[in-house]
Amino acid sequence: MTPNLFFLLASLLFSIGLVGVVSRRNLFVVYMSIELMLSSVNLVFATLSRLLGDAGGSTMAILLIAVIAAEAALFLAIIIHLYRQSKTLDSDLFSDLKERT
Amino acid sequence: MLNLIVVLPFISALLMALLYLQNTEAKRYWLYTIIGVGTALLITLLSLTLLYNAINGMPTLHTTLFTWIRLGDLDIKLAFMADRLSLVMIGFITFIGSLIHIYAAGYMKDDEAYGKFFSYFNLFMGSMLLLVLGDNPIIMFIGWELVGVCSYLLIGFYHHESANIKAANKAFMLNRVGDFGFIMGISLLFIALEGHGFSFNAIEENISLISTPMLTLIGFLLFVGAMGKSAQIPLYVWLPDAMAGPTPVSALIHAATMVTAGVYMVARFSFVYIQVPDVGLFIASIGAASALLAAIIASYQSDIKKILAYSTMSQLGYMFIAVGLGAYSSGIFHVLTHAFFKALLFMGAGAVIIAMHHEQNIFKMGNLKKRLKLVYITMFIATLAISGIPPFAGFFSKDAILVTAFASQHYIIWGVASLTAGLTAFYMFRLLFIVFHGEAKSQKTLQYLPRSMTYPLVVLAFGSTFAGFLGLGEGYGNSQLINTFLQLPDLHHHLSHATEYMLGAMSVFFALFGMTLAYIMFAHKTQEPQADSFVKRVIIKKFYVDEVYETLFIKPLLLLSHFIAKVLDPKLFDGIIQLSIFIYIGLSIRFRKLQNAKVHFYALYFLLGLSFMSLYLLYKLGVTL
Amino acid sequence: MPEFNLELIIFSILTLFMLGGAFTMISAKQTLYSAFGFLVSMLALAGEFALLNSKFLAIAQVMVSVGAIVVLSLLTILTINTKVENLPKEPYKYLWIAFSLLIVSPFTLLLYKVLTTLPAHFAQAQTITTKLVGKTLFSGWVLPFEIVSILLLVAMLGAIIIAKEKLKGENS
Repeated sequence: MTPNLFFLLASLLFSIGLVGVVSRRNLFVVYMSIELMLSSVNLVFATLSRLLGDAGGSTMAILLIAVIAAEAALFLAIIIHLYRQSKTLDSDLFSDLKERT
Repeated sequence: MLNLIVVLPFISALLMALLYLQNTEAKRYWLYTIIGVGTALLITLLSLTLLYNAINGMPTLHTTLFTWIRLGDLDIKLAFMADRLSLVMIGFITFIGSLIHIYAAGYMKDDEAYGKFFSYFNLFMGSMLLLVLGDNPIIMFIGWELVGVCSYLLIGFYHHESANIKAANKAFMLNRVGDFGFIMGISLLFIALEGHGFSFNAIEENISLISTPMLTLIGFLLFVGAMGKSAQIPLYVWLPDAMAGPTPVSALIHAATMVTAGVYMVARFSFVYIQVPDVGLFIASIGAASALLAAIIASYQSDIKKILAYSTMSQLGYMFIAVGLGAYSSGIFHVLTHAFFKALLFMGAGAVIIAMHHEQNIFKMGNLKKRLKLVYITMFIATLAISGIPPFAGFFSKDAILVTAFASQHYIIWGVASLTAGLTAFYMFRLLFIVFHGEAKSQKTLQYLPRSMTYPLVVLAFGSTFAGFLGLGEGYGNSQLINTFLQLPDLHHHLSHATEYMLGAMSVFFALFGMTLAYIMFAHKTQEPQADSFVKRVIIKKFYVDEVYETLFIKPLLLLSHFIAKVLDPKLFDGIIQLSIFIYIGLSIRFRKLQNAKVHFYALYFLLGLSFMSLYLLYKLGVTL
Repeated sequence: MPEFNLELIIFSILTLFMLGGAFTMISAKQTLYSAFGFLVSMLALAGEFALLNSKFLAIAQVMVSVGAIVVLSLLTILTINTKVENLPKEPYKYLWIAFSLLIVSPFTLLLYKVLTTLPAHFAQAQTITTKLVGKTLFSGWVLPFEIVSILLLVAMLGAIIIAKEKLKGENS
């Protein structure tokens, strides 16, 4: 169980999160993919902490969880707001900035 | 004073132009006449004064107006040189020019654009004087071009008729073709004489620096310019058409002055041409051929001015025979005498045309000798002069040329020239007899001719009679006034007096023969020549030269222009631009779709960028899987 | 070849769950299915933390990430109760996913390579205790701690304001 395995896992998680952000139009899925990316970073911190014997890594991981929570709250608030406004969960329909032809 | 002679006509032309443009309707007849004719008379006075001084031993005058271009070695000044050749030229140019100005004041009296006419006329005088008085070939060329422009402006003066415009264009274009040769000649001369200065004197001094083949080429190219300007074969076809202009224009430009610019040029460049006698022989041959061709065509023409146009071309041929064979003074002498009687002929023809209410076909005239007595007498004198009958002017100048041809053993040229002399007498007297003798074809009452039109005829008649005594040949007292005065590098040939008399007698005989033949054929009943036989048809159609030029040059050029304008330009060049516009717009439309304000897609673009960067880094770091 | 022992087996199972959950999350059609995949993924992550001997982190992960975040998400999803036909229509979804996976692979590779430049074995076992973490948190890391607490406060306020319904007679 080398650190490399953990790193590999973290990379894969991050990529999957990235793919989710890019591919899906459903706002919730986008939100959850972002969470996934942040969690993968968390995993890297934890691994590094164990690897280097430094407690700072774990500390950072804990703080990061808190940040994740904050961000989750905001994100969901935005989703609710947007849904109230336009009754849709489709990110493609929020395209007011596009050029008028 | 020399500067004034050239500058004054330009100033007066500008003044009249401004006056005319200020109000094109106003009939300021007297104002324009005074400015126009006055300027001409003034410069005549100045020129004759200078000529008189030169006769009394004044050396060559050099004046400079200003330096035009100075680029390192290239130093061209707007400078004038009045040596004897130039002074003789400006003497008769201004004198005959003023007479024609007076004549034109009467001829163009009722014309609407009177002011414009005199403006152009004075512009022409200035240009011609610039040409003749130029110190270096560049200035001469400026004058050369300007007279071409004035010719165009004046031929197309009655611009409401499109045929006149076409004639003007034709004149200018053929002139241009000649000018191309001229420019090449000057350029070669300049390159060959790099760094030694470029005035005529400088060229003359350094002429030995140029190799003979180069000089041959230069001489030939300069003559191409003369071919265009002086209406020799093959660039002559504009001259008959140029008769579409008003008659004073024909008299001044196409008889006395502009067309002789070519002869002047050869005389001016005599230091070149004596080095290359082969080119001279070529010039003489062209001259002889043109003389003969013109004489043949003139014998069958019906328009009074066209006959005179061809006669001009024919006489120009004589002048070129002279300068081609090295007798520069004789050539200039013939220019002088020809100016007198040709101007007289044209002015007389103009008088007849006006009198007959603008009729130009000689077969519609007849028996005018009683009704237009003065015109008849003066034209008779001029016809005698042109036919070369002594003691009138034409005899001496023409005889000098024939003697040169014979003495330099170019017998073919002499033969052609003599034959043409006979033909000249024939068609000129044909003209005279048909117009003034025979039965009257029209009974209209004649238009009254103002004195301004008739008095100059008298003056010119005197000139035609007595100008010949300026150049009596060896056998006739050897005064050779003009030859000694001009100091041109003539080639001298010695003939025994007996031969000379014999040659003279022969030419007179030919002339009398022609005259008699004309009398027999045309003094009584006349009718327009019909195109019955093949030969007649060819001659009447002027040997189809115009048609040949049309097919060989004009039609292909027009086709090419049409092709380029309608096909090549829109499709190819516009096509390329359209294509690039099309590609650009297409790309832009496609790229615009990328910016669709959807976060989804923008995230993809991030990812793409990220991916490329990672790829690049992976490559740079040498990382493998 | 890593040692074939219990740890590895547990690791593999947890990995499977995690990746499976992640894949479900990104490819499920219905939102709730994605949420459940997310849940599974987070739980497996907690297990991973435990494997790394970070007990406190594992617990924190379960409590916060699963217990708060996932619950909150589920709550939101169920509140906004869209019918299946009102969900965003995503044609070519699998195409997009496949394409993106392809595109992201160099990045993944790069990431992995960068991370593995670090020494490849764990230093010592069991040196990171909860006690140590707590101590570090409140001594060296007290500033970030405070900042994060402010952050949470602000986030809370922000969330309330953003998600609040407009009352009658109130301007926007």
